[in-house]
Amino acid sequence: MTTIDTTEHAPPAVHHSPLADAELQNIATQFLALESKLLDEAREEDWYQLLDPELLYVIPIRQATEQRSDEVNRAAFRVRNTLAHVRLRIDRLSTAKAYSEIPPSRTMRLVGSVLARKTDRDNVIAVSSAVLLYRQRGIDPHFDLIPYRRNDELRITADGPRLLSREILLTEVAIATPNLGLFL
Amino acid sequence: MTVIAPTVASEVTPILDRVETEIEKNRVPAEIWNNDAIFRAELDQVFGTCWVFVAHESELPKAGDFVQRRIGLDPVIVTRDGTGGINVLSNYCRHRGTQVCQTDTGNSRFFKCPYHGWTYSNNGDLVGTPHMREAYGTRLDPKEWGLKRAPRVDVRSGFIFASLAHEGPSLDEYLGGGGWMLDILVKLAPGGVKVAGPPERYQINADWKAGAENFSGDAYHADTLHWSNEEIQMIQGLGANAEMMHAYELGDGHATLGFPWAKVGLPLWGYSPETVAQFDLSVLDDAQRYVLETNPPTIGTIFPNFSYLRVSSPTLPGGPPTVVTTFRIWQPIAPGKMELWNWQFVYECQSDQEKLDSYVTGQLIFGSAGNFETDDTVAWEGAARAAKSAWMQRENLSFNFEQAGRTTVDVTPDPDYHGPGIKRPTGFGELVQLNFYRHWLAVMRGDASSTTTEGRHSR
Repeated sequence: MTTIDTTEHAPPAVHHSPLADAELQNIATQFLALESKLLDEAREEDWYQLLDPELLYVIPIRQATEQRSDEVNRAAFRVRNTLAHVRLRIDRLSTAKAYSEIPPSRTMRLVGSVLARKTDRDNVIAVSSAVLLYRQRGIDPHFDLIPYRRNDELRITADGPRLLSREILLTEVAIATPNLGLFL
Repeated sequence: MTVIAPTVASEVTPILDRVETEIEKNRVPAEIWNNDAIFRAELDQVFGTCWVFVAHESELPKAGDFVQRRIGLDPVIVTRDGTGGINVLSNYCRHRGTQVCQTDTGNSRFFKCPYHGWTYSNNGDLVGTPHMREAYGTRLDPKEWGLKRAPRVDVRSGFIFASLAHEGPSLDEYLGGGGWMLDILVKLAPGGVKVAGPPERYQINADWKAGAENFSGDAYHADTLHWSNEEIQMIQGLGANAEMMHAYELGDGHATLGFPWAKVGLPLWGYSPETVAQFDLSVLDDAQRYVLETNPPTIGTIFPNFSYLRVSSPTLPGGPPTVVTTFRIWQPIAPGKMELWNWQFVYECQSDQEKLDSYVTGQLIFGSAGNFETDDTVAWEGAARAAKSAWMQRENLSFNFEQAGRTTVDVTPDPDYHGPGIKRPTGFGELVQLNFYRHWLAVMRGDASSTTTEGRHSR
């Protein structure tokens, strides 16, 4: 008689760690929801407060390749920003002369499929999520939809979670929106 | 010479006639943008005859490497075959037209059509047909039934160009003054330049001509559209940009703006002493050295849709400078729509840290999220919209290039410049952009040899 191995579906073992899995998941979802709200409300300065000083924000280049594993070239990127670069981009948006974002695109970042897990570093958790960013720019009669997955790391600090790293895997190889003048 | 198909000609010829009349008045009719007939004719006349950039050799370092690109709307596979040769192959199976390659990049000796299995070598030859004996009896001729090859392929300093015209000027003749200027950018060190990574691509709601025109000589927009970058101190002195840029009209639709980098303390665009030590300027002629010392190429277009930018930029406000080199193609997609393919380039001889700084900063200023480029992508949408307007069509809307006749700045060519074409001591005048459209008009009429020959290299 054959049996179906149910190990994969078994409830995860209880870990004796400072952060239980349910708590991890809760921290991650709350964080992603909060930053989405801030970015959708054009509160970049408030969002900036959620960034870790060691932030690395990267959008690698994706291409159509035969093997899925070759699609993303992590030595190549559309964007490779440190916290100082993000500061610069926010400063530019604040000049009232960053014309591609005047007025700011109306956006709605729908974040889902959140998976949080521990890493081998204390107080750093890894969070994977999927985002659909709806964007209506200027007086465009149409909208742009920017789909992507994020691989984030959050540092849990005394002041709350902070975004330590973000890798954005755009679903499209050639993006249909004319620019990425907003934060993904 | 290719002749416009009669069905298209009846729609296009009256428009081209109006372009000719309007250019004489330093204006360009809006109707050449976002126009179905013009777009169709451009595929025949411009992308069907001109030499167009398809890839850089550094993207194909090994035998079997390939990238998929487009000439006009046609997908082509650019391969390096087993003998090291470069091939530009049409990506349509000769049996039923199915695309034999469905990827952007890879390494393969063969391309096998997924439909019936016709298989081609990476030099384009047909090398396999399933059930050959039952289906065909004897082998089909591998050349006759091979993938269609771009009739002419040639390489200049690692830059691979293809032409769909069987006859016409050689690549070197075609590039003329544009190639002479390109050499100043990319031939300074043994080993030359290479791509920092594969291209990034983004769709812009504008015609390919918008980017080509802008990069050919629009010094005038920088201190308005890009002023935010002055305020955050990523650039200084933008207000003097049009005054300081010198415009090179290189002939045949090729053009460059040159900024006096040495005057602002950044000779040779500000490359580091370590990198400059690797440079061998003896490859340049006297006129090229004059350009390098006075107003080296900074932003330019090689007709039709290949452009570049080489600037010194701080890595961050107040931070150390780095040199950014981007090459890009304005890839036609549809009337009023293009895809921007953007590559960052570095010199092979630079240190790893310098290469990374160039790449990171290049994308920070010119890329899909670039602090300069994002604003261009939006400004260029206007012409396509205006051109589609029924109201503006009734008004016979033309765009204003009248700086050409009205500028009070001296546009007399620099007598000390002895290279191809002419160099004017200012970025004012919009003369370069008008020349771009003059050449476009000649190419569209199938008579490119009749215009702007002054830039042809006369060495």
